Amino acid sequence: MDGAVRILRRFVGSTMIISVFLLVLNLITLGTWVLKGMNDGPSPNSITQGITKNLHLDNESYYLDAEAEKLLQQNDAWAMLLNNNGIVKWSYVLPDELPRFYSLTDVAKFSRNYLLDYPVYVWEHGDGLVVIGFPKDSVGKYQFGFPVKWIRDIPFRSFALVIGNIALALLLSLLIGSRLIKSITPLIRGIHALAEEQSAHVEPKGVLSSLATSINHTSALLQQQNVALKARDEARSNWISGIFHDIRTPLSMVLGYASELEESEVVPLEQQQKASIIRQQGEKLRSLISDLNLVSMLEYEMQPLNTKIIRLSALARHVAADFLNNGLDERFSLELDFTNEHLKVNGDEKLLLRAITNLIQNSITHNEIGCQILLQTIAFPNKKVCHFIVSDNGKGVPSSELPDLLELPYSSTRKHPIHNGHGLGLPMVARIVKAHHGQLTLKSDTGRGMKATIEFPTVEVSV
Amino acid sequence: MEDLKHKKILIVDDEHEIRNMIDGFLRKEGFTRVYHAGNCQEAIAICLADKPAIAILDIMLPDGDGFTLLSSIRRFSQMPILFLSARGEDEHRLLGLGLGADDYMVKPFLPRELVLRLLVILRRVYAPPRHEPQPIFKLGEHTVDLEGAVVQCRAGEQPLTAKEHALLTKLYENRGRIVTSDALCQSVWGDDYYGYENTLMVHIRRIREKIETTPSSPEHLLTVRGLGYKLIMKEE
Repeated sequence: MDGAVRILRRFVGSTMIISVFLLVLNLITLGTWVLKGMNDGPSPNSITQGITKNLHLDNESYYLDAEAEKLLQQNDAWAMLLNNNGIVKWSYVLPDELPRFYSLTDVAKFSRNYLLDYPVYVWEHGDGLVVIGFPKDSVGKYQFGFPVKWIRDIPFRSFALVIGNIALALLLSLLIGSRLIKSITPLIRGIHALAEEQSAHVEPKGVLSSLATSINHTSALLQQQNVALKARDEARSNWISGIFHDIRTPLSMVLGYASELEESEVVPLEQQQKASIIRQQGEKLRSLISDLNLVSMLEYEMQPLNTKIIRLSALARHVAADFLNNGLDERFSLELDFTNEHLKVNGDEKLLLRAITNLIQNSITHNEIGCQILLQTIAFPNKKVCHFIVSDNGKGVPSSELPDLLELPYSSTRKHPIHNGHGLGLPMVARIVKAHHGQLTLKSDTGRGMKATIEFPTVEVSV
Repeated sequence: MEDLKHKKILIVDDEHEIRNMIDGFLRKEGFTRVYHAGNCQEAIAICLADKPAIAILDIMLPDGDGFTLLSSIRRFSQMPILFLSARGEDEHRLLGLGLGADDYMVKPFLPRELVLRLLVILRRVYAPPRHEPQPIFKLGEHTVDLEGAVVQCRAGEQPLTAKEHALLTKLYENRGRIVTSDALCQSVWGDDYYGYENTLMVHIRRIREKIETTPSSPEHLLTVRGLGYKLIMKEE
């Protein structure tokens, strides 16, 4: 749903930008293209003014400067000077049809509009009134008169117009956008469901029906593949546990009879010792089989978890005490450091004990000369995770080999061969951690010791 | 004890070698009446006819599984059942025990373990309930009597409180080994033990006052820093 709102917001935003852009563009076009030609060349008023200025009285006769005369010629205009009694005192190419005398009424009429269809302009001269006439149909003259109140309101009105436009654009885009969203929403929901590997069904209708059909098809395909994958995993896991089942029965007999021979009093001592070796190797094989079984169950996500709330510090103490009670060699020391006793995770106690035991055993197995092993917990309350860290100051592993250590032995992704041990320890830890929705990170380099960090999601428990 | 060895034991397993092996172990241990069955049908027939005292069941059988067999047997008999399975998954273990089996063992197994577990079940079901006296042990000059819940020394007798008794019992059961403070708290206050660590320290101090000659430098009840406590018994 979040996606839909975001799309709507983006849509409305761009609509607004488009409408504002169009408005500005229109204003610019109005100024540069529509109004172009309105004032071509000097305006009639300025021509009239220029003529008036350049009309001089010289020796009782009027005389026009050459430049002004040229201006008149260019505009195809005629000119005349009326004295205060309405008589033409001077003229320039005055058409014949025009009278040579004008009454006050005539002057008032033509100064506002036309003189016999000639658009005329007037300007006050020292000796009367200069009248300039332009050719018929060259200039349209209009009279404008506006109430002052109206003119005062113009800024407000234009502002209201702009706001109204914006509001209308907003409303329309919201309306169109929400209709679009309404048709997109089922599709979005379908795609989200696909991403979460749930089955999605979208009713195909409207313009987006082909999209809906595609989503339904993809969903069906994904479901099919999931089912097939699951079936294959299950088959493989069943196959593996079937093999273990078949190995267990003969191994029972080996172990059973070997231990009987070992304890038998009639068997010579040497043979008893050999039987003991058979029994011990059989037990090794037994633990290897159960480890393999556990790892394969975890790998195919078929290991049931008996989860409960576990305190990490108690878990660590449990493992540490077990190691010490089982005679930890003096070359090794175990230290515990808990910043927070409250840290709790939801997990399978047996599996988590196994994971921590494996990590400590790893440090012991790979450092024959001994090392210090430190168990730590660190809380990250803001991220709702906590770290369980097992680190040692032993000889470490080249950092290039680290990613390998989490892969199953003999798998194609593992580049280096196994050094010692059966190589199941760390892969098992990684898979146990993964089953607990955590993450195992290894940090090490030659001579720098090994640091294994398990990140768990913390459990919020009111104490 | 000898009575138990005359009890009838039924072994149900489709592998006759396994049956023979278990049979051999049991006879060597002194059991005399051992019956075999290779499938569910035979097993039920023997149960009805001979009324064995206990049955050892495999889970994978040619004509059904051990869980169904257990349910069929339960319809007419409450005899104890021990599962011996080649499938070790936890869910099977829980399913078996949930159905009312008395124990669950995973193949491969050590014969001694099987016989011991069998005897535990037989004793629990058939032996008359006996009172197991709680141990009495010496710690230096002090004698701890868990049965009477007292500590005796030359100066006299000091009673143990219930909590002190529970703690000492737990420590004694794991003598010579580290018992984490979590395990100690759990044995006294149950699963919801968090927050009792300080109380535990108080109780340990009181115990030391009773069993140690110099409680400030204990010789028997030692603190393992950061982990828990350890009861050392020098005599053993």
